[in-house]
Amino acid sequence: MKKLFRPAAAVAVALVLAATPALAAKDVVFAVASTFTTTDPYDANDTLSQAMAKSFYEGLFGFDKDMKLIPVLAESYDVSKDGLVYTVKLKKGVKFHDGTDFKADAVKTNLDRVTNPDNKLKRYGLYNNNIAKVEAVDDYTARITLKTPFSPFIAQLAHPSTVMISPAALKQWGNKDIAFHPVGTGPFKFVEWKATDYLKVAKFDGYWKKGYPKVDTITWKPVVDNNSRAALMQTGEAHFTFPVPYELTDVLKAKPDLDVVAAPSIVLRYLSMNTQQKPFDNPKVRQAIAYAINKEALAKVAFNGYAAPAEGVAPQGVEYAYKQGPWPYDVAKAKALLAEAGYPNGFETELWSAYNHSTANKVTQFIQQQLQQVGIKTKITLLEAGQRVEKVESWQDPATAPVRLYYVGWSTSTGEADWALRPLLDGGSWPPRLFNTAYYKNPKVDADIKNAQLTTDSAEKAKLYKDAQETIWNDAPWAPLVTERLLSANNKKLSGVYVIPDASFNFTEIDLK
Amino acid sequence: MVQYIVKRLLGLLPTLLIVGLLVFLFVHLLPGDPARLAAGPDANPETVELVRKDLGLDRPLPAQFVRFVNGVLHWDFGRSLRTKRPVSEEIGERFMPTFWLTVWSMAWSVVFGMVIGVLSAVWRNRWPDRLGMTLAVSGISFPAFALGMVLMQVFSVQLGWLPTVGNDTWRHYLLPSLTLGAAVAAIMARFTRSSFVDILGEDYIRTARAKGLDEPHVVVKHGMRNALIPVVTMMGLQFGFLLGGSIVVEKVFNWPGLGRLLVDAVDMRDYPVIQALVLLFSLEFILINLIVDVLYGLINPTIRYR
Repeated sequence: MKKLFRPAAAVAVALVLAATPALAAKDVVFAVASTFTTTDPYDANDTLSQAMAKSFYEGLFGFDKDMKLIPVLAESYDVSKDGLVYTVKLKKGVKFHDGTDFKADAVKTNLDRVTNPDNKLKRYGLYNNNIAKVEAVDDYTARITLKTPFSPFIAQLAHPSTVMISPAALKQWGNKDIAFHPVGTGPFKFVEWKATDYLKVAKFDGYWKKGYPKVDTITWKPVVDNNSRAALMQTGEAHFTFPVPYELTDVLKAKPDLDVVAAPSIVLRYLSMNTQQKPFDNPKVRQAIAYAINKEALAKVAFNGYAAPAEGVAPQGVEYAYKQGPWPYDVAKAKALLAEAGYPNGFETELWSAYNHSTANKVTQFIQQQLQQVGIKTKITLLEAGQRVEKVESWQDPATAPVRLYYVGWSTSTGEADWALRPLLDGGSWPPRLFNTAYYKNPKVDADIKNAQLTTDSAEKAKLYKDAQETIWNDAPWAPLVTERLLSANNKKLSGVYVIPDASFNFTEIDLK
Repeated sequence: MVQYIVKRLLGLLPTLLIVGLLVFLFVHLLPGDPARLAAGPDANPETVELVRKDLGLDRPLPAQFVRFVNGVLHWDFGRSLRTKRPVSEEIGERFMPTFWLTVWSMAWSVVFGMVIGVLSAVWRNRWPDRLGMTLAVSGISFPAFALGMVLMQVFSVQLGWLPTVGNDTWRHYLLPSLTLGAAVAAIMARFTRSSFVDILGEDYIRTARAKGLDEPHVVVKHGMRNALIPVVTMMGLQFGFLLGGSIVVEKVFNWPGLGRLLVDAVDMRDYPVIQALVLLFSLEFILINLIVDVLYGLINPTIRYR
């Protein structure tokens, strides 16, 4: 009996062997800079984990490669006149990886999950405790009611953390273990996650967008060391890598089969000044510091030219960002302003950096030299993550906050002015609440931000945000420095993978020749 | 002998308890609030509090310590604050890669280092000595990350003979173990040489030569055993260090080992992982010391343990 089976097996093997070369599997490898913290976007605070989760998860809305807001699982939406009720029509024929249909109950399950404090998710704060209720009107209509009008709400739904997880899978695995068994509607389904080594996803045959995805698997490989990541690209072991350090661009460019891409970003680097403390309580001193720094030279020296002087309080590319041109470099004016403020010979102060990597080191040294020119002596400290949290982010009493000059950056991951201004410059966002390290408070700005949230009229919003940004620019709680460019490298065979302006990835069109 | 080993193993327990207490206090003294770190910069205080509760950091310190010790006794080291996976799983996954890398690095570096050391001692101040010691000094002075990158550039990128990162096949082990072992081989060579030089001046070596033994016999039989004691001590120490995982080599070769885990853990103030790792490292050192002591007895029968 046994013998009879052999020829059949042999034929099967032969068939498989013959079929393989014709349909060569398209396996793509991404080399990324750090290990993933989780696959659950609602419980992640790092851009990378959320970017990776786009392999298997999709949201109601999302961003295209230029960070324009687009509907993904939503078909359309409308807002009630009072700005409180959002009705979202959903796409039909969308399936989760577990075979269940995507329906309005998924919207309810997911939003209810993140807004319930008992689930203790890290993205709890994003919705600001402002969702009153979520209802499934029918299978393909979801209705979300807010407590107070909040016009950037759709941008919140497009945030990479707001994704649709299969309600059936959530029920099966529970709130915590879903992170090890992600089930979404995305183009790829989860295969395996070896924390130290890689995370692998494979093509989902039932994907709603016919003909997609065009590759069979993606392996996400965290490779911490910059040089090692570059080596992987050179040997062809990886097809795409981000970020590429400035000093390695020439090496990678020299390889004929590699492309190095510098993409625009909404990552703004700035120097915040503690406006509650002398001498920074005087706007003239703050303006003087902004005048004293040559941003053009800074971009060249510290960022090897892969950055441009900041053009406003919110970087271009963020919706409602208002362009106010780079702050001019003018040493004479800086000295004059300092003299007017009563500091003709400058003063001594602290200069802290939120990061301790080599670029931050170069930036702070450059700023130190520039400020020296106008008589301001600074002592540099590069804060390690734990120190940063202790001395800046969770400092309880604003009156005694030790932060003075603080070099830091911000990426507005909702792509909308509210998240660019409110956490950083609203009077209610002082640490430890949010991230207003300048301890800046201007009632006019606060009112503008508040009113912009309440209105759904786009022109009115643009006007309010413009007013807020102008006021901030003139008050100068920050010296705006540069907006970075994002450097990635990819193999020329790979197409359709983009680093989008908030340093996340877009790979809906991914293909491998 | 057996009694001695049992006694030493029992003595291990109070040591580990003290280490555990010190580590616990130490990690809680580190600046920075892990809940805040885990919640991220754009989290509001309510979210931070949620995360703090989630991580069990809202309880008083003594209660946390009791829970920690109680957990350890039940072989439960808690969950990582960063990934929320059980710490035992996190460490277990990375222990074997580090262990095997250590074993391979030690294997080649001990053999190579001892051969160079012996040759250098026998031909002291002649060219084999000069060559051997030049190699040894280079091995110590050349930083591991640079050596690793050079090796990777040459053998993986330029020649394409070996894979760059990962730990799947034996070929993945070649470059990292070479990088990791270089410094150890150099240290072993210098230790062996100086130990041998001393021994070769001893009376009993002169006696051995005087009674007409040939030189290889004198060196291997009479020299080796006696010179081995300090060398074995050094070997034990190095083995312990390497088992802790080399941060540099693991970073360059993206090795899924304990060194990188420790760095990640310290960065994120991942208390349970730091505590378990330090306990593990202490345990390793204690066990290695015990093995070294036992080896002394085997090498030199005049050393007796009670």
